[in-house]
Formats: sequence, structure tokens, C-alpha cells
Amino acid sequence: MRFWLILFTVSSAVLAQEAGATHADWPHYGGTQFSWRYSALDQINTSNVKALTPAWLFQTGDYAENLQTTPIVEAGVMYLITARARVFALDAATGREIWNYRYPEPGRNVPGFVGNRGLAIGDGKVFFGTKDNYMVALDQKTGRLLWEVSVDDVQQCGCNITAAPLVAKDKVIVGGSGGDGAHRGYLTAFSTKTGRLAWRWYVIPGPGEKGNETWKGDSWRFGGGAPWLTGSYDPGLNMVYWGTGNAAADFYDADRVPAGADKSKDINLYTASVVALDADTGKLRWYHQEIHDDVWDWDSAYEVLLMDREIRGRIRQTLVHMNKSGLTSVLDRATGELLKVFSVPEVQTWISGITEDGKLVGRVEPQLGKTTTVCPTAAGAKSWNSMAYSPRTGFLYVPVNELCEDITPNNAAPDEGQNYMNGAFPIHLAPGRTTYSHVDAWDPVTGKLAWKVPYKYVLLASMLATAGDLVFTGNPEGEFYALDAKNGNKLWSYQTGAGHRGASVSYAVNGRQFIATSTGWHSSVVGALAQSLFPDQDWRLGSTLVVFALPGGSQ
Amino acid sequence: MKCVAMRRALLLLLVPMLGWSQSLQDTLKRGEQVFSQSCATGYCHGVKGGPSGAPRLAGRGFNQTYIANVVVSGVAGTGMRSFATVLSRPDLTAVVAYVATLNGVANPKIGSDDDEAAAASGPKLTGEAARGGQLFKEAVRGFGRCSTCHEVGGLGISVASGIAQVPASAAALKALATPNVKTGTMNGESMPVLVLSDGKQGTLFYDLTSAPPVQRNAEPGTVKFSDGSNWRHSSVIGAYSDSELTAILAYLRAVIKSQ
Repeated sequence: MRFWLILFTVSSAVLAQEAGATHADWPHYGGTQFSWRYSALDQINTSNVKALTPAWLFQTGDYAENLQTTPIVEAGVMYLITARARVFALDAATGREIWNYRYPEPGRNVPGFVGNRGLAIGDGKVFFGTKDNYMVALDQKTGRLLWEVSVDDVQQCGCNITAAPLVAKDKVIVGGSGGDGAHRGYLTAFSTKTGRLAWRWYVIPGPGEKGNETWKGDSWRFGGGAPWLTGSYDPGLNMVYWGTGNAAADFYDADRVPAGADKSKDINLYTASVVALDADTGKLRWYHQEIHDDVWDWDSAYEVLLMDREIRGRIRQTLVHMNKSGLTSVLDRATGELLKVFSVPEVQTWISGITEDGKLVGRVEPQLGKTTTVCPTAAGAKSWNSMAYSPRTGFLYVPVNELCEDITPNNAAPDEGQNYMNGAFPIHLAPGRTTYSHVDAWDPVTGKLAWKVPYKYVLLASMLATAGDLVFTGNPEGEFYALDAKNGNKLWSYQTGAGHRGASVSYAVNGRQFIATSTGWHSSVVGALAQSLFPDQDWRLGSTLVVFALPGGSQ
Repeated sequence: MKCVAMRRALLLLLVPMLGWSQSLQDTLKRGEQVFSQSCATGYCHGVKGGPSGAPRLAGRGFNQTYIANVVVSGVAGTGMRSFATVLSRPDLTAVVAYVATLNGVANPKIGSDDDEAAAASGPKLTGEAARGGQLFKEAVRGFGRCSTCHEVGGLGISVASGIAQVPASAAALKALATPNVKTGTMNGESMPVLVLSDGKQGTLFYDLTSAPPVQRNAEPGTVKFSDGSNWRHSSVIGAYSDSELTAILAYLRAVIKSQ
């Protein structure tokens, strides 16, 4: 109640809360540019969700890999992209296809994994990135190709675009993969109108730029840091926020850390960091490095949630961000000041703790020639799938996995565009447990856990929160389900027939609320890796969008 | 077609039918090293071919020919790329032999020194040409590098058509005339363009206003073209010094001569 009183008495906070919620449309990858994955629709709610039933489904026909996409919805039309960059516009009420576009499939000598996490819309166009590193714009009405531009030579950089782009004003901004390769990561912004380059920001500063001194010799050239997911945008501050990838080599740092560097201070900037960039120029406004000298593959590339919350008696414009290790930072998004940090996994052995000002205590670092066991893992306490946030409860909803790994580093030299993790890290189940994941509700202001729902396998699908006080997600066994946002009670579930490694959204057409989820287990990378931990399981692949609503007339 | 033929040749060499002039034990040891650094890494195969982010390779009943085929050609629609140009010949042979042992092949065939020498492909670049090759695609130059618009030897983006003749000097390179670049006018805006096609389906062209070039697709009849433009090759290579351009020309001469 106190939270709501504050909300209604502070006008700026009210505006920010409205900006974070979606309504009839789901216009951005994270719902809105504030990335809450929260819908203000409440037609489907805790009292009637048990009646939720499939309304339509759409089989993409692209079974090279699963459907990971976050569907985008605007004015009753849904836009989808599949693993091999086949794009569909559908009637969001019925699933009827309006148009489709097939991006020419890159040749088999093109390095990288097959997959695409989403597209973006803006300026009357649909934008997406490709495995061979093109940024493409289609006409939103017809699917006609308008422009495409090469972001980098895939054969040289070994990098791909798997993330949804972010549209901010007249620019479309996209990151790429390559954080685990001998590559120098960057964000690139293009004019939505013409496709011309607007700016590029390199995660790793070049010679003469501040921060370059945090790299040994010329290791900055191949130091990774790729921001391989999607950022957020605050129009009021005109800043875009992005998480950056881990430093490369991932598990071996002697070739990249300057001699005598203090590991309690910034090292290998701006890897494993949250950064704020001027949306118009791409200039760095502030940064916060979450892991100084990362040697565990702890990307900070994950989603950035922007919200206004009361902290120590005052409304702050905050940003909430989780690192792959499960460390979660709350920052002032105007200045980068660290306001709170807490850790979410139950099993955490890579550090013994963290100080209030974000310093890691008791680092357990892999050593050359030895094998070191740490928990959680490079697969993530949370993987790239997004958390959600509800302003009604004030909770973050987070899928957390409890796994460990045995890291054996090596000191191989970098080879441009090739894998540069420098280590094997076989993953295994955290010992002495019977459940290996849980959906958590965390209050980011207090850093306190409100409730958790354990699950026996892993959870690798994004979360969706709604004003109906529901939280939706899916599991690898194919079950898509709704939890009560206040206490975690399971209120409804539906077996969709294939594992969940994608995302769900909510939208409305002609007053009818829908819940849509992408389905299909992921057959490579973290999906396959997780599957291998449970050899008696056979989580089903697929590429189908399943859409639910209340039965006609009952809403 | 050339690429396919090369792969076939490489494949044959990776599974030789004749003599072993190299210690099998050494090859398998090297194969295990290559496997741990290039295959059992990242989110790919598991240690010793166990399950991980990519499929298990041990105990699958794969024969050596099949393994060599996959390593050389990759698997379409998956993360398994072709390693034909990634690993050296001896390393390819070694890793194929190693994976074969994981599949119960006790004495995998390994190549002879002659095979390996014969398989060395592509020009060996040294000195200035090698430096020029690096400069041509130097990532630190961002969109200011040659490979932003030129593809040579499988690297770079083929915006421009293939380089058929190499200018004699840096001065000649700067003075290069570019008659193919025209001026396009669309929605009242003029820009230097390289036209790819202009027909009933629409107009496909590169907008060269700034780097990188943008391939644009306009509705039929909406772009008007006129000969000539204000675009100059000399302005887009301005970040290179004359000595760097001279090295790049040496590289192009070496590569194009060898093709």
C-alpha cells in the first residue's frame, strides 16, 4: 500500500510507471523500451485464468532450431522472426498470415549458431539482424525489403546478430555476438530511414581512449565484450542502456590484465558492465562494471529494466540489471551510482560474498593447469531469457538455475574470429539437491526474496507479468503456466507439446486479451547442454507460436 | 563450385589410403589438443566427445570418412561450421583421427607428409604482401577498411565487383576512376549510388553516401539516375597512408595472381 501511495503522489514516478507497461500493443522486445515484460491488461486475471484456452497457433515451418522470438504486436498485427530469419506478419486475433519474408540462408561455411531472439518495429519498418551480420529493414505493411547493411564480415569476426534490435527515436541499434571469440565487441546504430551508419560504440576503448589502460598490451583488439542482447532506452534522459559481454579469453586472464592490476577495481573496461550511452551520438555517459576481471564467463549482456522506486525515502530513477552470475545491481540510471547489489542463486561458490559497494569477496579463480569447480555456471544462474517486473507487486520475476561447472583453463593464443574462451567447463548438477531451478520473486529495493517456486529441471524461458497479477512462463517439458504474482501459487497450466526456450507476451485486439508464447526446445548451446544433464528426458523441439485467450464471451 | 571442389580434394586427403609416415600416437595426441581447444570449447562439444551444447561425438559409430566430411563441410542449419579453412591441414587430420578413436576406430588412417605438402593451398604471403593482407581487413579501422566494400579470397563484403586489375601504385589507386558510380535521386535527395538492378520489380542499389554502403530497394521508377557522381575512391581510403596502400597493392597482386 505504501508503494502505491507514493506512486500516486509523485507525478514523475507515475509517468515512469506508465512508460514501463504495455497495453493493447507489445511494441518492443522487452514490452516497452523500459524492458519490464509487463502488460497493464487485466482481463485475464487470478480469478479467471483457469479458463484460459488456446485461441490459435502458428507453425513457422522453420525447424532448423527452436522459436525463441519475442513476438511484437502493433495495431492488431503480430510480427515474428524464426531461427533462420524468416519473418511473418500475422493477424494477431486469428493467426492469419498477412505477409512473409525469407532472408536468404547463409552458406554452411558461415560460422555461428542458428537462432534469432526477435525483431523490432519503428518508422513503418520491421528490423532484424542475421547470422551473417546484416541489419535488415522491411516495409511493415508489405514485408518488402527496404534496405540492408553489413554490420561486419562474419568470416573475419566470427560474430552473428541473434538479438532483437532496439529502436530509439530515429535510430535502430543492434549488438552482436562474439564475446567468446577473438573479437572486439560493439554496438552499432543506423538511421531507421536510410540504413546509414549513425554511430558505433566499441565496448573496448582503443589506444588513447580512457579505459584502454585497463588492457594488457594490445589484448584490447581481441578482448570480447560483445553486447549480444537487447538494451533499453529512457527518452527522458535520452540514454540507451546496454549490458556488455564478458572479457575474452573467458577463463584465462594473464594475457589481458595489466601487471599488478587491483582486482577490486575496474579491469578490462567496459566488459561485464552496464553502460549508458547518449542515444544521439553513442557517447559513453556512465558505466558500472559488475565483474572486475571476469574469469568465469560472467556476461553482463542481459536485459536492463528501468523503473522508478523509492529508495531510502526518496524516489530514484533506477535501473535493475542481472549479471550471468546472478549478481543483481540496482543503479541510479541518471548517474550510474550503485544503490543496491544482491545475488539470487542458492548455490554460489565462485565468491564468498559481495560488499555493499559491489566489491567481490573471496574470488575462486580458475588456475592454468588445474580444474576448479564453481557454481553457478557459464550457462548462467539465469540464461539470456528475460526476467519480468510488475509495478503492482514491486517484484522481479526471475528463473534461476542451480548448476555447477569444472573449469580447466588453457592459454591458447587468440586467432581473430575464432573461439577464445580458453577453457573447458563441463557443467553438472549442483550436488545434494533434488530440484535444479526455481522461479523467484525478488524485491529489488530491499534485495529480499518474496517467494520461490522450485522446479526439478532447468528453466530457460522468459517471464511475463501482467496487471491481472499473473506471471507466465514455460518449462522444458512443454508446460506453459501461470503463477499468482503475489505468492507464486500455480493457477493454470497447459501442455504445449514442446519445450519452452523463448518468450511470452500479452496484447489485445478489439478488447480481447491474448497471451502468446513461442515454443520449441533449443537443440544447441545452453538448451542442449541442459538437456544433457537429464539423459532420461527428451525435451521436444519445435517452432510454433501458441496463443491463448479466455473463451469467447467469457471475458 | 571451386570451393566445393577444394573441399572434396581436402576430404580425400584427410582420409588417405596409403602409408603412415607420421607417428599415430603423436597425431592422436595433437588431435586431442585440437579437439579440446577448438571443439570441446565454448558451448560446443563436451570434453572427450561427451554431450554438451553440441551433440555427443563419442560412441556414435561414426567412421573416419563421415567425420572428415562433417569437419570439412560443416552441417547446414546448425552451429557446426566448416573447419576447412579454420584449422591447418595437419590439425584437421589429427582431430579427425582423434574423433575416430572416440568411435572405436583403433587405428585411424593419418596422412603422409607428401599429402600434407600437396594440400597446402593458397598463396603463402610474406613481407609486404602479408602486411597488406592484414591492412586490407584490419578490424580496428572499422568501416574504413578495404574489406568493407571488397571481397578477396573469401574475406570482405562484395559491394564492388571483383578486383580484376591491380593499380600500379598508391597514386594510381587514389586516382582510380569510378564510372560505375552514378548519382541517384530519390524523394528529392541525391546520393552516389552503385546500381545493381533496375526493373519492373524495383530498383536495387548501393547508397554510397557513407560507409558502410547500404543496399536499398526502391519501388519501380522512384529513383532517377544520372551519370557521374561526387564520390571518389580516394576519399574512402583516406585513412590509409601511402606506404600502407602500397602494401595492400602488393597483397592484391599476390592474391589475384594466384587465382
